[in-house]
Amino acid sequence: MSARGPGSCAVGTPASDRGAPGAATLAASLLARVARVLRQVAGAPDYAAYLEHMDAHHPGAAVLTEPEFHRRAMDRLDGSSRPRCC
Amino acid sequence: MQRLSSMILWCAVAVVGAAAFGALALGRGESVSAVWLVTAALAVYFIAYRFYSRFIATRVLGLDDSRPTPAVRHNDGLDYVPTNRWVVFGHHFAAIAGAGPLVGPVLAAQMGYLPGTLWILAGVVVAGAVQDFIVLFASVRRDGSSLGQMIRMELGPLAGALALVGVLAIMIIILAVLALVVVKALTASPWGCFTIAATIPIALLMGLYMRVLRPGRIGEASIIGVVLLLLALVYGRTVADDAVLGPLFTLSGPAIAWALIIYGGVAASLPVWLMLAPRDYLSTFLKIGTVVALAIGIYLVAPPLAMPRTTLFIDGSGPVFSGKLFPFLFITIACGAVSGFHSLISSGTTPKMIEKESHMRLVGFGGMLAESFVATMALTAACVLDPGIYFSMNSPAAIIGTTAADAAHVISGWGFTITPELITQTAADIGEKSILSRAGGAPTLAVGMAKILGSALGGKALEAFWYHFAILFEALFILTAVDAGTRAGRFMIQDILGHLWRPLGNTAFLPGNVLATVLCVSAWGYFLYQGVVDPLGGINTLWQLFGVGNQMLAGIALVLGTTVLVKMKRERYAWVTLVPTGWLLVTTLTAGLEKIFHPDPKIGFLALAHKFGAAAAEGRVLAPAKSIAEMQRVIFNNYLDAAVCGLFVLLVVAMCVLAARTCLRALGEARPSVVEIPPGVSGATT
Repeated sequence: MSARGPGSCAVGTPASDRGAPGAATLAASLLARVARVLRQVAGAPDYAAYLEHMDAHHPGAAVLTEPEFHRRAMDRLDGSSRPRCC
Repeated sequence: MQRLSSMILWCAVAVVGAAAFGALALGRGESVSAVWLVTAALAVYFIAYRFYSRFIATRVLGLDDSRPTPAVRHNDGLDYVPTNRWVVFGHHFAAIAGAGPLVGPVLAAQMGYLPGTLWILAGVVVAGAVQDFIVLFASVRRDGSSLGQMIRMELGPLAGALALVGVLAIMIIILAVLALVVVKALTASPWGCFTIAATIPIALLMGLYMRVLRPGRIGEASIIGVVLLLLALVYGRTVADDAVLGPLFTLSGPAIAWALIIYGGVAASLPVWLMLAPRDYLSTFLKIGTVVALAIGIYLVAPPLAMPRTTLFIDGSGPVFSGKLFPFLFITIACGAVSGFHSLISSGTTPKMIEKESHMRLVGFGGMLAESFVATMALTAACVLDPGIYFSMNSPAAIIGTTAADAAHVISGWGFTITPELITQTAADIGEKSILSRAGGAPTLAVGMAKILGSALGGKALEAFWYHFAILFEALFILTAVDAGTRAGRFMIQDILGHLWRPLGNTAFLPGNVLATVLCVSAWGYFLYQGVVDPLGGINTLWQLFGVGNQMLAGIALVLGTTVLVKMKRERYAWVTLVPTGWLLVTTLTAGLEKIFHPDPKIGFLALAHKFGAAAAEGRVLAPAKSIAEMQRVIFNNYLDAAVCGLFVLLVVAMCVLAARTCLRALGEARPSVVEIPPGVSGATT
C-alpha cells in the first residue's frame, strides 16, 4: 500500500493532464483511451477506473499499487464463475 | 423538422430492407448476391431496435434513470464499475457470442438459405433480444442477482432448485457439443492441431507476463500473444509437412477427445490469471476483429449465394440432421435467434457495469441483435459455398462414405452435382487431406470465410492460411468456453453437493473442489467421447439435444420475465414475453417429444434403441455398428439421450406450472409484488 494525498496523481494519469497538448501528447492520450476501451471490453481490471473511484469516494485513503491491484483483481476471479457463452 | 427527417430516414431503411427481402425471396436469376441477405438483416435489426426496443424500454419496462443501478450503488472500482454504454455493449457482445451462432446456422443451411434467415430474424426480434433485455432488466432491478437467485426470489425455492439442475444439465451438453466441434475440425489435421496446441503455451506465457514481468500490461501481453499466434498459424504448415512433427500432430478423433477432457480438467483447476484470463482477452480481440472483417469482406466480395433458397431437405430427409423444418429448424438455430444461455450472462457480470437503466436497451436488446448478425454471416458463409462441398463436409460417413468418389456420387444423386476432383481440390486449397464429414460448423464456416476473406485479401494463395485462421478463431473461444464452463459447472455441482454434505459446498475446500471438477469433466467428457465414436455422426444427435435444452432455458427465462411483468402490475404488456414463450414451448416441446418418441429411428431416440435392441437380441449387427458391443453402446446412449431430453421437457413444464400459480396469485393482488430494490435506495456499501 502506498499512502497519498487527496487529488494527487498516480500511475495511469493521462499524459494530456501534465502539459500543453501537443500532437504527441494528443496521440498518446488517444492511444490510452483506445487501450482503456479495449481493456474494459475484454473485461480486464482497470486500474485507472479504480483510482478514479478511490479519488471520488475515499479521498486520502491508502490505495493499492498497480501490481497489487492486478494481483488482487485476478485472484478474486478464482472463486467466481464467469461463464462464456456457447 | 427533425421529426420529418427521422421519418424519411426510417422509411428509407424500410424500403431498402423490403427491396433486399424482395431480391432474396423472389429473385429469378441464377443466383442472388449475399449482400442482399446481409442488407435485409441489417434493415430488420435497425428497425427493430429503433421501434420495438424503444417500446419495451419506455412502455413495457418503464426504465428509469433516476433509479441507481448496482454499479452505482456498489461502485468499488473493481467488480462494480459504472461503464460507458458502448463499452458495456462490446463486453456483453463478446461474452454472449461464441461458437453457437456459428454452428447452428451452418447446420441449418441444409434446408436452404431462406428458412434459416427468416427464423434468425424473426426469432431475434420477437424472442432472443427480448429475453436478454428483460433478464438484464430484472437483474439490475435486483441488485445484480443471478438467474437462479431471481427464479428463487420470484417463483420460490422449488423452482430455484429445478433451475439449478436444468442449467447444470444444459451446461454439460453445451461443453460436450462445443468440444465435439473442435474434435471434428482437428481430426487428422496436423496444421490445425499444432496451432490450437500452441495457444496453450502462448496463453501461459501471457499470463506470466501480466502477473510477474509487467503486472497489468494487458495491451503489451495481447500484442505478444497475437504475434505468437500468427507465427504458430504460419509455421503450422511447416510442422504439418515435416516428416517427424507432421505425424506427431496427426491425431485421431478419440485421441483429441481425450486431450480435450484432460485439458478441461486441468485448465479449470489452474488459477484464472495463468490461463483463462489471458486466453479470454485474446479470444475477445480476435472475435471482434474477425466479425468486423467478415462483414466488410462480404460487402467487398459480394459473393453469390450458391445454396438454393430452399432445398428438398425441408421434408426431414436431410443428411446433416434428420427431422422436418418444423420443429427442428427452430432448435437447430438456437444462438443467433434465441439462446437461453444468454440469460446467465445477462444476469452475470453485465448488470454490474450498467451505469443507467436506459443503457440496458443498447446492451441487452442491441447486444443480441449483434449476435444475430454473426449468425446471419455464418449462414451466408455456408451458403456461398458450392452446395456439393457443403454436403461433403457436413454429412456423416455412414451416408456419404469415406472417399471423395463415393461422396461425389451420393451427393450428385441428391441433385447437387459435384465431382470427386472438386472435393479433393478444395481440401488441397485449404491445406487439408480431406474435407469429408467435418460436421459441426467450424470447418464449413472456415472454408466459406477463407473464400470470402481470400477473395478480399490474398486470393487463392492465402486460402489455406485463412481456413486455419478461421479454425483457430473458433477453437480459441471454444477452449475458453470449455475452461470457463467447466469452472461454472464445478461451482454448480459444489452448490448441489453442499446440500448433501456441507463441506463439499465450500469452494475453497480442495477435496470438494477436485471431486466437483472430476464429476463435471467426466459428465461432459462422456457425451463428447460417445459423440466422437458415434458412426452416425454425433454432432447431429448432440446438437439437437443442446438445442432443445438451450431453447428450454430460454423458455424458463421468458417465463420468469412474464412473472416479473405480472408482479409489476404490467400484465397488459405480458404478451411481449408470452408470445415468444408460447412459440418456444410449442417448438421445443414438439421437438423434445419427437426426439424421444418419434417412430422413425432417424429421429426418435427410443425408436433407434428399440431397433438396435431387437437386432442385438437376434444376434444381428446393424450397420454402422461393427459388433454387438457397439450395438449395446448405441442402445444405452440412446436411452440416456432420451432421459436427458425428458428431463428438459419435465423441467420446463414444471416451471410453467409454478410460474402460472405465482402469476395468478399476483393478478389477484392490488399492488405490485415484485422483489425489487426500492427506487430511493442508493446507500453505497463500500
